[in-house]
This record gives sequence, C-alpha cells and structure tokens, in this order.
Amino acid sequence: MINEDLALGDLSEIGDAIGDRKVTSVQATEACLRRIEAWQPRTNAFLRLEADKALAQAHAMDRELAAGKRRGRLHGVPMAHKDMYYRKGQLSTGGSEIRRHWTAPVTATVLERLDAAGVVELGFLNMAEFAAGPTGHNVHHGHCRNPWDGTRVTGGSSSGSGASVAARMVYGALGSDTGGSIRLPASACGVVGMKATYGRVSRAGAVARSWSLDHVGPLTRTVRDNARILGVIAGHDPNDSTTSEKAVPDYEAALDGGVAGLRIGLALPEALVPVDAQVGAAVQAAADAFGRLGATIAPARMPDFTDLYRSAEVMVKCEAAAMHRPWMESDAPYANQVRTRMEAGFFIPATQYIDALRLRAHFVREFLDMAMADVDAVVLPAIPFPVPTLEETDVEGSGGPATLSMVARFTGLTRPFNTLGVPALSLPCGFDANGMPIGLQLVGRPFDEALLYRIGHAYQGATDHHRRVPA
Amino acid sequence: MDEKTRLAAGIARHLQGLGYDETRLAEIAAEVDILNSAVRKAAAGRLTFDDEPAAFASLMAREAK
Repeated sequence: MINEDLALGDLSEIGDAIGDRKVTSVQATEACLRRIEAWQPRTNAFLRLEADKALAQAHAMDRELAAGKRRGRLHGVPMAHKDMYYRKGQLSTGGSEIRRHWTAPVTATVLERLDAAGVVELGFLNMAEFAAGPTGHNVHHGHCRNPWDGTRVTGGSSSGSGASVAARMVYGALGSDTGGSIRLPASACGVVGMKATYGRVSRAGAVARSWSLDHVGPLTRTVRDNARILGVIAGHDPNDSTTSEKAVPDYEAALDGGVAGLRIGLALPEALVPVDAQVGAAVQAAADAFGRLGATIAPARMPDFTDLYRSAEVMVKCEAAAMHRPWMESDAPYANQVRTRMEAGFFIPATQYIDALRLRAHFVREFLDMAMADVDAVVLPAIPFPVPTLEETDVEGSGGPATLSMVARFTGLTRPFNTLGVPALSLPCGFDANGMPIGLQLVGRPFDEALLYRIGHAYQGATDHHRRVPA
Repeated sequence: MDEKTRLAAGIARHLQGLGYDETRLAEIAAEVDILNSAVRKAAAGRLTFDDEPAAFASLMAREAK
C-alpha cells in the first residue's frame, strides 16, 4: 500500500525525495509496477513493459546515490515513452504492424539525455500507428483506453503516454505532436502536455510523421514536472539540424513569477471550429481564474486558420507519402485510415508543397502581429468537444461521414500551432458532464515556454483539476 | 470518369507507378483539389519571388523570447 501511494506523487516530488534519500528509486519503480499491474488491463497503455530491466536500472541509480553521485533532478525517476523513440538494438514498433519486429539502429537523442539524467525506463507505450491518428485507436496492438472511462478515447497519437500518466502508472512520458498528438491526449486524459517551439527539442531517432511539423515533448501530471523534463531534453542537437542553438533556460526556476501584470488573450474561436458549451465554459472559467490571479484578460484576435490548416495537411501528406512510399507500393499492412490519409501526397504538385513551406513564415508573422500583438499568451480549448467514445470515433470499423467529421475536428484547434511552430501547453481545466477531463491550451511567442509554464503553474496553484485521479 | 479523376489516374499510373480503382481516384482527386486550391489562394495574396522555406526558421529565431 505504501508503495502504491508513492506512485500517486508527482514526478518532481518523487525526484526530490529520491535525491534527498527519503525514498529509493527501487521503491518508486516498484510502486509504478503495482499501478501498471492494476491499470494495464484497463487501459492497454503499454506495448512493452520491461520490469526487470527497470528494476536493475533503479538499483543502479540507488547505488550511485549511495556513493554520493546524483545526476540531476530526474535521478532514479521511472518514466515510459511512446513507442517511437529508438533505442539501439531494441524493438521499436511505431505502433505499427510493419515494424512489429524491427530493431532500432540508433538511440534517440531525447532518450540519451534522459539516460544521462538518470531516468529509469519502464518500457514503451501504445500510440496511433506511425503517429497518424488523433483518437488512440490502434487495430494492430489494441486500442488504448481512457483511464477515466474505458469506453472513451485517450486522444492520440500519444495515447499510451496520456493514459499511463493519468493512471499514475508512470511519473512522466514522452509523446510527439504533429497536429496535436501531445496536447490531445493530455486534454482527454487530464494531464499536462507541452508542444514546445519547433527546434527546441531534437527529433533525432524518433519516428517521423512530418519532418516539418513534428515536435517532441513531455506529458506529466503537473506543470512543474513538465518543466523539469523539458529542461533535460531541450537544446541543440548536431543530429537534428532543425534544433536551435538558443540556450535552454531553467524552466523550473522561473515557475513562481505569477501572472500579475500579464495580458492573456481568450480565444473561443467559433469561426474556426464549433466549441461545445461545456468546453467553452471551462476555458472561460480558467480565464476568469487568471483574472483573479492578477492577469488582464482580453479577447484574442485570431487569424483565419483555414488556409494555414490546409497548408499543414499538404506538408503532412506529401512528407508522409514520400517516407512511406516503399511500404505503400508493396501493399504493407497499414490500417485503412492510416494509408488513405497519406495517399493524396502522391498527387499534390511539388510546387504546392513548396508554397506551403514558403507560406509558413507569413502565417507566423500574421499570427504574431494579430493574436499576440497586445498579449503575452493566448488561452483556448485543446479539444473543442467532450471526449467521445471509442465507438463514436472508430473510423476503421463503423466510420461513416459523422465519424469522419468528428475525428477531423479533433485537431482543429491544435494543428495550427504545429504549422506556426510556436509553443503550446495543454493542461486540465475542468470535467464535462460525463466526468471526463477538459483541457485548455496556452500559446505563446517562439521559445517562450518559460512564460507558458509560469502561467500554467500559477493556475495549478489556484485550482485542483490536476489533482484528481481516475478511480 | 471526370477530368480531375482522369488526371489523377494518369498521375497514379504514369508518374507514381501506383494503382487505384476509379472510386478511390475520384476521392483523392476531390481531396487534392481542396488542398491545392487552399494553398494557391493563400500563396496568391502573400508569396513573392524572394520567399523561401528557410524564412520560417529565421523568423522563429528573430522572434525568440
């Protein structure tokens, strides 16, 4: 029982307790394993659990601490990751059938950084096939189920990351985000997810969905936990030429600045995507909370994202079609909806693809000049409707026009920020009538993750949505 | 088969070496039409000779907080 209670603590609390030698890494790892034993049958969050390896790693971390060596604030903390981060010589499925038995030739930069920080790796997590899908369905490895209600979706594509963090099976997890794949599961599962600025975190050694739009980032229970992980994985990487050489701030040290004096734009952009009344009310209530904390709330002036959204689709489809061509030509076993979403990429002229890339700077300029002109951050919903059921969103099974429409609307408020490349933080802001989490997004200027964390941390200090645990 | 579907059939067969049935080609043609039109419309009002894809990374670096 004591061990299970340990798993309910936050990543930063457990990291500090391990560092202070009040708790051992082995105890924390065993606590997570007990939670996994209880919750894996209900969620299918793990694709591979590596308990023995994790315990051996935890013992090694405890021995280092006993010898006076602490690698950092993540020393001995158990995590698990979306099954798309390569570890040399080990299986890496990408959530696919095609790579069910494939072993990775290299280790992802982000895993190397977490290794160096002393993180214990419990295993690898469920995900949408090749990170293509916003719901958490997976016909090859079994659907991931939301720990708040097993009949409902987790959001995707980082489905196992959202579910495992929410169910307190792990203290934190890496996900990836091409159109919302960190923020959607964070929202649907009631946890925190950061899609940092494009170029802030290395993509080297991670399965690509779209080289231009992929972002790597953490999912955690609290904003502080998230800031701690991003501080470790962020920064320039010679193996990913798109990473920035800009110095990585100490995000955790900047958390306590509060929001007094900040201007936050509120966007409930009905013109972009219809926002459900419950979701809108929760985000409005969050804006009111920011106001009570001393921020000034103003209506956000959002640009029309329609063309931007279509441009993002052009990038994803063309890049995915190019990288998947050999498998698609050989009729490899894709889920139908994964294959069909890429096929248009073979028919889009190269000039249109290049124009979509050329337009990106214009879209960023317009967003900064319009939405961010007079505010420090923008707040808006993550998923614009209550978390649906697996059945309602089963494109592969019963999917008719209504199903396709709902699935398409999942990313209506998240994908634009992949195209813009600006940071976006998703955090829980309430619960709907079904008892399912509602999430908001905080969006900021390029490389302003520290401010988003500061705002989110102030909000979590004044609210307790993130403290609720699935029963 | 309408003109756009015929065009898609030609691209599939002659340029990409892929085989699709007519129903699927019609769906793809309609999807590509929407995406192409959106990009062309957005580009017409914004892009000039000097715009290049790398401008995105430069702008992000210039605007970095």
